[in-house]
Amino acid sequence: MTTHFYAFGSICRGEVDRSSDVDLLACITGPNPDLDTDKFSVYQHERLRSLWTEGNPFAWHLHLESRLLFSSDGVDFIASLGAPAAYKAGAEDCDKFARLFRESLDQLSQTRVNATFNLSCMFLGTRNFATCYSLWRGRPVFSRKSPMLIDDPLRVDEEAFGVLTRARVLSTRGIGDALSDEEVMLALRAVPVIQAWMSQLLAEVHR
Amino acid sequence: MTEFNNRIAAQREILLAVNSAHWREELYGMSSGALDRWVRANSLDRSSRLVNLLLEAAGKLFFLANKSQEQVTAEYRLRSSEVSGLTEEIRLELRRKT
Repeated sequence: MTTHFYAFGSICRGEVDRSSDVDLLACITGPNPDLDTDKFSVYQHERLRSLWTEGNPFAWHLHLESRLLFSSDGVDFIASLGAPAAYKAGAEDCDKFARLFRESLDQLSQTRVNATFNLSCMFLGTRNFATCYSLWRGRPVFSRKSPMLIDDPLRVDEEAFGVLTRARVLSTRGIGDALSDEEVMLALRAVPVIQAWMSQLLAEVHR
Repeated sequence: MTEFNNRIAAQREILLAVNSAHWREELYGMSSGALDRWVRANSLDRSSRLVNLLLEAAGKLFFLANKSQEQVTAEYRLRSSEVSGLTEEIRLELRRKT
């Protein structure tokens, strides 16, 4: 069994705060039931090779922002793969995340049931949209603040974006203060700005 | 729809069923952290059928997440239909309790 462990994500960018977790990747061949999938993203070596061939955003993320922690055979497997293929799915991925934002907003407009989950999905849609757009532009930003850090940044009220970020942490890690109705309204006030920004960038990737 | 968006829709459907009932605090997501918080916030019995069904659905949704596990298409489809079945069981269990 060959095993490689990596850290990736916020810890490798030094972007750590109280809501950060540590992203760990395990690359394995064959089964490894001892790995805790709550702690590790577990990928077969072959699957990673195919993500590299596809030019998948996750492959680019690992290529640019992962650090080897352990190698059972002395090889840095990710470094050995070199650069992933060119990223070609920019338009498709931006569409996908814009749709996630829109569908979650539609749900939130219909009912306040699941408000935190829907705000969390709106955060995910916005963040992933920005990351895919930045990768398509050739200047990738994988930060959770990617919408504000890319070329053509989202200029949104920081407090409103903070509510979306808190919703994401609540729904993925179950930590943080519950959102008040006022905070939900505050986040909703940022929606037109986010939608206008997405429309502008979508027009660019589809040109 | 993409598999990614389908997985989010499956989560949303389960959460909508759960959160349509009255709780001290909503269930915010199908992650283990969110489920632990919800069980604690509502003083639920961790061994109850409802909590077990939710944990089972969470496990299957976790498998469907690109992040965590290998995906083989046929198995992906099987798991998707298992999640639909579990969603129905969760609805029935919630109805039984109210």
